[in-house]
Amino acid sequence: MLSDSLIILKKELKRIFTDRRMVAMLVLLPLLMLPAMYSIMAKMGQARDSDIESFRSTICIYEGEGNENVIGPFVEALSSINTTLELVQLNELDEVKQSITDKGKELLIVMPDNFHENLASYRTFDIEIYFNSIADYSEYAYNRVDEVLTELSGDMVRERILESGMSEEILSVFTVNEAPILVDLAKEGSVIGKIISILLPFFIIIYLFVNSMKVGLDTVAGEKERGTLAVTLVNQVDRLSIVIGKMVSVMIAAVVGAASSVIGLIIASKYFMGMFGASGAAIASYRMNSIHILQFTIVIIPLAVLVASMVLIVSTFARNTKEGQGMIMPVYFVVMIVGVATMQTGDVPPRWMLSTPIFNSLLVLKDIFMQSVTWSSILTAVLSSVVLSAILIYLTLRMFSSEKILFRI
Amino acid sequence: MLRVEKLRKVFENRKRNVRDTVEAVKDVSFECIPGEIFGLLGPNGAGKTTTLRCISTLIKPTSGNVYIDRYNVLENEKAIRSRIGFLTSDMKLDGFFTPDYMVDYFGALNKMNKEDIRQRKEHLFNELQMKDFIHKKIDKLSTGMKQKTAIAISLIHDPDVIVFDEPTNGLDVITSKSVTDFLEKYAKEGKTIVISTHNMHVAEKLCDRFGILVKGELKELGSLKSILDKNSSESLEDVFFSYILPSAEEEVSHA
Repeated sequence: MLSDSLIILKKELKRIFTDRRMVAMLVLLPLLMLPAMYSIMAKMGQARDSDIESFRSTICIYEGEGNENVIGPFVEALSSINTTLELVQLNELDEVKQSITDKGKELLIVMPDNFHENLASYRTFDIEIYFNSIADYSEYAYNRVDEVLTELSGDMVRERILESGMSEEILSVFTVNEAPILVDLAKEGSVIGKIISILLPFFIIIYLFVNSMKVGLDTVAGEKERGTLAVTLVNQVDRLSIVIGKMVSVMIAAVVGAASSVIGLIIASKYFMGMFGASGAAIASYRMNSIHILQFTIVIIPLAVLVASMVLIVSTFARNTKEGQGMIMPVYFVVMIVGVATMQTGDVPPRWMLSTPIFNSLLVLKDIFMQSVTWSSILTAVLSSVVLSAILIYLTLRMFSSEKILFRI
Repeated sequence: MLRVEKLRKVFENRKRNVRDTVEAVKDVSFECIPGEIFGLLGPNGAGKTTTLRCISTLIKPTSGNVYIDRYNVLENEKAIRSRIGFLTSDMKLDGFFTPDYMVDYFGALNKMNKEDIRQRKEHLFNELQMKDFIHKKIDKLSTGMKQKTAIAISLIHDPDVIVFDEPTNGLDVITSKSVTDFLEKYAKEGKTIVISTHNMHVAEKLCDRFGILVKGELKELGSLKSILDKNSSESLEDVFFSYILPSAEEEVSHA
């Protein structure tokens, strides 16, 4: 039986891995997609940031009623920002606001009436700053001005304290984590692992499934359509050997896709880790040792078998590849939802997830990347994948013995 | 020798809990001896393909049996398969592979060792004049070349019985002739050949004996002469249409 399965497996693998188009889809696409996507995102992000920073924004200031030369101290404070200041009158305010909405000007600062009196009598007053949150230049100018004015307010308070003969230390009761000591007690590498674990299980399950679909739908439904399955069945090979040979080939294609996506994500990590605020040194220090790689392999292979058997049962039931594609799409959407859901789970996922196949395997993969996995959770995930795969393979075999399913017209 | 004995096949359909049965083949019996080409004739839906699938062990008879020598399809599936070469003109081989690879693959599935496969390939490639294209991808081959490849695949294990569903369907005249010539030659080597067709000209030229199937029932069985004499007809086509036209007219009047 094993030798028959090997004959079928060899033929299926030859079909998969000597076809350039197939190799491009199954191996290169998952390998290159993430680095390409993240490097483009990083490059575009950098270009956008430098464009915004170099842009000279127009900030309009209304000085308020009963004020003279209010903006003096503000002009000095705002000089650190690349900006053009324009004084505007009360009757121009609506027009300026409209211009900000239309992305013509970036900001409007409206000073309160009687500014000097408020200042002299220590009364708190409010400065209104109008901006447009969907215009990048306006939002950037708002953030910078808000920063500058908050700092200016702090300086003015400090001056008042000093004028009254008190120490400025009165302003601070205590500080938090200012001392230069290591306060984050997470295991070394686990912080980077956590960032990887947010994305990787999702991409792993997607590529396991996509590659299984690309190969698995043709392997039975395609052969039915071409009439070659009937000729294969008239040979002396038993049906279990056919199912095993085809399933292992689908599984290998799936694992290759998942492995490519892992390598792709590692390459892409130099671009996306920065987006999560991770330092270069922390990224460089992240390592998976041989135990982690062993754990990863132990979990990913039964998961690939499960995904391959899901695709194979659909492929066996379908009359042709087109019908198979229609049938597999709802399953694909469910798998995508599972992948997205595992991205959102916290440290303690709901109990039902831990006992649900695919969910639990993805959660275990997350823990492996965070280097905090337990062997009992690995065992649960592997067992559930194996049990469900065995049921699906049994059902596929039953279908292979069913005339109605194999020769449906 | 091939013997079909009271073969009956009933298909069941269940739609919205309503059980519907279709009797595709009704107590069909015939024999085909070595060196003979037997033609199973009938219009579409007559039960030809179902009969051939039962003979080839692809589906199980509801009742009756099929024997090849001392083996039968109900009890000795594997022994039957080792003695049968099954082929359908609908088969489209995966265009990615070469004829040489596909013949090797099916030889291996038939438990042949490498040397036997090599020798048998040599013989078949010569017989079918395939040598010029055995290393080209099937995608690049003409219809005739593809059909020759399919024949080589079905005959790699040197079966005693060949079951060929619609051997000339969709083929041009030249390819059709090369297929029928090959089948005649193969029969002369002592092989038992059963074909299904609705092409009366091909049947008359190729087959030694005939069975005419209409709605699952074997209406005629015998040599060309015996069938023509019995029906006082001049051609097989006339006999064929004498069975087909009334049922076709019946279908029109029901519609």
